[in-house]
Order: sequence, then C-alpha cells, then structure tokens
Amino acid sequence: MLQYLSTSGPAVLSALGQHVVLALLPVLIGLAIALPVGYLAHRFRWLYPPLLSLSSVLYAVPSLALFVVLPVILGTQILDPLNIVVALSVYTVALLVRTVIDGLASVPTAVTAAATAVGFRPLGLLLRVELPIAVPVILAGLRVATVSNVSLVSVGALLGVGGLGALFTDGLQRNYLAPIITGIVLSVLLALVLDTAIVGVQRVLTPWSRVGSR
Amino acid sequence: MSVVSDVAAFLVDGSNWQPGNPDGISARLLEHLQYTGIALVIAAAAAIPVGLYIGHTGRFAFVAINAGNAGRALPTLGLLSLVVILVGIGLVPVIVALVVLAIPPLLTATYAGLQSVDRATVDAARGQGMRERQVLLRTEVPIALPILMSGVRNATLQVVATATVAAYVALGGFGRFLVDGLAVREYAQVVAGAVLVATLAIVLDLLLACVQRLVVSPGVSGRALTRTTPRKVTP
Amino acid sequence: MITFTAVTKQFPDGTVAVDELTLDLPEGKITVFVGPSGCGKTTSLRMINRMVEPTSGQVLVQGRDVMTQDPAELRRGIGYVIQAAGLLPHRTVVDNIATVPYLLGWDKRRARSTALELLERVGLPAAYAKRYPSQLSGGQQQRVGVARALAADPPIMLMDEPFSAVDPVVRAQLQAEFLRLQQDLGKTIAFVTHDIDEAVKLGDLVAVFRQGGHLAQVDTPEQLLAAPANDFVADFVGRDRGIRRLGFRLADTLPVQPVGAPRDSEWVLDLDDLGRPRGWSRRGETASMQSGGGTFTTGDSLRTVLDLTLTSPAGVAVRVDQDGVADGTVDHAAIAAHIQGDTVRVDR
Repeated sequence: MLQYLSTSGPAVLSALGQHVVLALLPVLIGLAIALPVGYLAHRFRWLYPPLLSLSSVLYAVPSLALFVVLPVILGTQILDPLNIVVALSVYTVALLVRTVIDGLASVPTAVTAAATAVGFRPLGLLLRVELPIAVPVILAGLRVATVSNVSLVSVGALLGVGGLGALFTDGLQRNYLAPIITGIVLSVLLALVLDTAIVGVQRVLTPWSRVGSR
Repeated sequence: MSVVSDVAAFLVDGSNWQPGNPDGISARLLEHLQYTGIALVIAAAAAIPVGLYIGHTGRFAFVAINAGNAGRALPTLGLLSLVVILVGIGLVPVIVALVVLAIPPLLTATYAGLQSVDRATVDAARGQGMRERQVLLRTEVPIALPILMSGVRNATLQVVATATVAAYVALGGFGRFLVDGLAVREYAQVVAGAVLVATLAIVLDLLLACVQRLVVSPGVSGRALTRTTPRKVTP
Repeated sequence: MITFTAVTKQFPDGTVAVDELTLDLPEGKITVFVGPSGCGKTTSLRMINRMVEPTSGQVLVQGRDVMTQDPAELRRGIGYVIQAAGLLPHRTVVDNIATVPYLLGWDKRRARSTALELLERVGLPAAYAKRYPSQLSGGQQQRVGVARALAADPPIMLMDEPFSAVDPVVRAQLQAEFLRLQQDLGKTIAFVTHDIDEAVKLGDLVAVFRQGGHLAQVDTPEQLLAAPANDFVADFVGRDRGIRRLGFRLADTLPVQPVGAPRDSEWVLDLDDLGRPRGWSRRGETASMQSGGGTFTTGDSLRTVLDLTLTSPAGVAVRVDQDGVADGTVDHAAIAAHIQGDTVRVDR
C-alpha cells in the first residue's frame, strides 16, 4: 500500500484534483440554473407539473449512458471532460429544481404575506425573505447532489475521464487492491469534506437556527 | 441524423427481441431486472427494519442520518472493483455495490417518514390501547407510506440506472449494449442501450406510482380532499 | 372509582409535575382538573391510564393499582379524548370510531354498527361514515374523537382540553351536547381544562391545581365560587363570583306577580291569542320579545332572570310555562328581596 502511494503519488494527486473540479463545477452550474428555474416554477404554479416530469425523466437516464449520448448531441469528443460536466450538471439541475421548489414552499405564507404588506418588492422578497428561510431545505438537497456527484464522476473512468475513477480501472486491470482502496478512501474523504463545508455554509447563512429555542 | 435512425433500426430489429437470443434485448432485460430485483430486496430487508426501529423509538437517529450520508459517499465503481478483486468476477460484486447504493435512500426515507407522523396521533393511538407494535404498524407506517414509497422509487431509479456497471465486470444487463457498443465504436448500439435503461427506469417508476396510489390511504394522500362537502353541516 | 393516593411525579431533570396528590373521583360524575399552565393537571390525568407513570404513590382505577395492570388492556377500558382529536388520518371516520372494538377483537359487523350508532349520537350525519378525517372541520373531528372514546362503552373517560381548539360558538354547542350525552350515559369522567368558566359549567366536582402540581381546592362549582380557599383560587376563579353563583340558583322558588297586575311602567305586555308573549309596546313603540328581553321558565337560573330584567325595556322578566304561555312577571326588586331572604351568609 505504502509502496503504491510513494510511487504513484503525483498520479493520485492529479486524479484527485481532476475529480474535485469535475464534481464541484456541475454543482455550481446546477445551482445557478436550478435557483431561477425553481423560483419560476414556484411563482407560476402551472410550470410545476411539466418541470417535475422533465426532471424525473432526466434523472432516470443512467450516468454512463448520458456520458456517451452527450458527445453525439454536443458534437464533442467522447474523451472530453466537458461531457462529464454537462451530464452531471443535468443531474444536479434535475435534483435541485425539485429541492428549490420544496424549499420555497416551506416558507410560511404568513411570513411572505407580512413581508409584502411591509413593502418588499418581489425581487427583494425573494432575496431577503424567501431564500434565507428556504436555505435549510435547499442545502439539504445540495448535500445529496454533491455527494452523489463525487460518486458519479468516477463512473466516467469507464470512458477514460474519471478523476479518481482512473484508480479503480487501473486497480481492476492490474488486479491490484492498493489503488482501489486509495481511490475509495479519497473519494469518501472528499465527499465528507464537501458535505461538512456545506453544513458550515448553512450555519453561517442561518444564524437564527444556532440560537437554542426556549 | 443517421445515429437516430441507426438507433431506431437497432431497437426495431426483430432478431434483437427474440427471447432465445442471448445477446438480445429480452435476455438483457431479464438480466437487468434480476440484478435490480435482488439488490432492492436485500437492501430493503436490511434498511427498512432498521429505519422502522430508529424512526419509531427515536433512538440512534444520529446513526440513521449519518449512515445514510456515508453510504452515498461510497463510489459505486470503486466498491465494485474492490469486491471483484476480493471474490472474483461474478454476481456478488455487482449485488454488493448495488445494495450499498440502495440502502441510504431506503433508510433515510423510512426514518423521515416515521418522523413526519404527528406526535398527537401516535399519543392518541397509544391511549386507545394499542401495543407498541400495533402503534408502529397500524398507525405510523400507513401515515408514513407516501415518504416511504418515494424512498423506494428513488432507490429503484438509482439501482436501475447503475446496474449498467454489471457489464463492466463481464456480466449482462442493458449495460452490455453500452460497453460492447463502445468497444466497437458502434454508437447506435450505445445510445440504444441508454434509451432502454431510461425507458425501463421510467416504466418501473410508473408501476411503483400505481402501487403507491393503491396502497396509500386517500385520507393520507390528500385525494379525499378533492371531494366536495355539502353546504348544511353541523360544526 | 378513581383514587389518587399521595401521587408524585418527578421528571428526570428534577421538575416536580405533581406533588403528593390525594384525590377521589366520584363514580358517574364529571370531575374537572383546572389550573394555569404547568400546574400538573394533564400529567395527573395521564397517570390514570398510565400514559405517565407515578414516581411514588398509587393510582387506583376501579380498585386496582394501574401499575399492576397491562397498560394496553387498561387503556382499552378507558376512553381517551385529546385536544387535537388525534384521529387516524388513514382510516375512515367509521373505522376510527371502531378503533377500540377492533383492538378488542369484536366481530367487524358489530363494531361497524356500534360505530354508526355513535356517529349519530354525537350529532353527525351517517354520510360522514365513509369520509376521512381530513375532510372534517375541527369541531366535527372532535365529535368523532368523543364517539371513538365511547365505542367500547368504557365506564371511565379521560378528556384533555377536548374543546379548546374550536371557536367559542362551536365550543358552547359541544359543551351543551356533551352534558346532554353525560345525562344519558352517566360515565365517570376526568376532564382537564385551563378555562375556569368551562370547569364551572361542566364539572360536578372541580379540582383546582396550582403551579408545582399542588391541589389548591376541591369543591363543587358553587362552593368554589362561594368560598375560595385562598387568594390564588379567588384570583383564578376571577371576578363577579357573586353574580356567577346566581347561575346555580334556580328560579323555581322565585315568587312572581300575575300577568295582568298593574305596574308603574308605561310598557304593556303584548300577548298572542294563546297567551304567549310577543313583545312590549308603549304608545305605538314596540319591542319584540327577543330584543325586549326573552322569557324564562322555572328551570332557568336566577342569573338568567336577573339578566332578563336588565334587558327588558319594562324592567320586568316574563315567566312562561311549558307551552310558552305567560304565567307571571317579576322585577329586579323582587329578585333582590328573594336573594336577601335565602342567601346563606358566608364570612369571607
């Protein structure tokens, strides 16, 4: 095990680096798209059923299949990491749109009514009232999406681009446990670090939840 | 686009659907369903009783939540590779990897479903004279059913989609079309494989939605509220 | 029927919810536990059906210590009604009512028919049987909750603020119907409320709790109003005790003037052909019986009669017999004289 780490250290680190980027980028893109889309579905209720069906269908497409189909649609090479990013962004959006809607729906109508009566305009209402209150629900979904993405990125290794997934394919080919265990441990640690980071962000964004209730 | 017509041609080709054809769609479908079914049954047998206990008693909630999150963090491909090296190629590594994937959503949904039940209802049930097991099975579970079913649907979706990895370790299922097609650069076959998996996932989800409609009481699902009440009522 | 003997409940964090409670709940009567929040009334109630277990002391139900009985069997023999009704949302109304019969293993048809009878008894139409609780209003759900508690015909009923979650109009209706039901059934009832008016209205016996789980006074409602044991009880009972006490005195011994007798007032009583009062009139001005003050019978309380004299333009209340025919009048002075003569002087 140690022998493996000492010889392949740089390769492992570069795989980890690629993995981080491939996992995080879709999360950010997904969030950036899901927030406005989710808000629109919340505001205009007739959008909700079609959006829900669409995201369910998108989520049903297996990751490996999407990694393969996208090059055909996008016109990129199979080995282009862009496929992975786009595919995972699609999944993240599909998951997060539902979460954003649930989060906005969790804001009590009494609160939004009071805020509107006080004089908030729609944009201000969204940014200063609804979103802060919806944060716990949205971030819970974000945690699931992030952790799932970390796992899904490695599937891309089957196509040659998979961050830590390369360690798995390498280990399997050579019948060698060390890279596999390294890959699993790093993957889990990465997921844990990102999950804790999101929890930290949540605590910063919701100071009212830190104060104990009577 | 020629790819689309190639895919369509592949899917429509009769020989591909013959049950006798070991590489045909029917055979792969059965294999895929087999992997999915076995994994879900094992995962349910493991996760649901634990979830019921934790949700009903409220103890070890910490375990439920964090085991769920930790399980999600394990990379499926990594787990698969690990078990293959340990026990060799076969059904076992695939099932292990899929079971680990299916447990978190099932456990979390069972726990969350039970937690969502109004405490006053549970108190009233106990006060009527139900024993603990009766409170759990006759009161909490029926009310928790919508959330529980959504967990089952979620787990099914993930397992169906991920069962494609079986092909990577020389087994069958729809993943075979993906892997084989990639190997000979026959992209029509690959896309066809993707379409088949997605379709299977959607069909299974619809089936489960029907089951949900049958099994969940109208009083819980909110269907009962669409009926109108008469004007003259006693308050 | 139900006896508390030096019962104490202390929680693990040290709070004493009930302190050395000794109380006897008479059979066939409604005993009300009343007091401010945190006084231990609900905890005491829940010790009767062992939802809470005493730290020390004994709770006897029908002569047997609750701790020696199987909890589920004990509870199947005691009706339990809580504030939010706690109906099972996944079962229909009729199946909800039949909950305990099902648990007791009754034949399904018998359980259902009993449930339907009770549905009617609590004033709900038979069409509601197949409905789900989510389709019912709060007041209707509460009625179903009461029916459920009665289904297995238990001798004892525990009710924890059952009418608090509905609006005042509905609450008054539920209270009236509850009293009517109790008159038919004669159950031994322990009833918890934080509302002293509800306690006085419904209770045959009222137990006033104070913070810390102490019993401040146990008495009939009338005695409670007449002679509060200490400042806390007097405060809790509230103002206008004297007038509220009049609510317990009946008008049956109150002397009345004949209908045609001459009076100082210019107002004249209008009667219809059968002799029933329609209203008052004075030189062309009329006041109908409702706005002019209504009527009373010998079964009404002195408080009602006094109120009628105050709302009538003539300052006079009209008594009617069971056919609605006017058979006497009385003014405030006569009532005052009557009370003066009868009231037992209390030195407090």
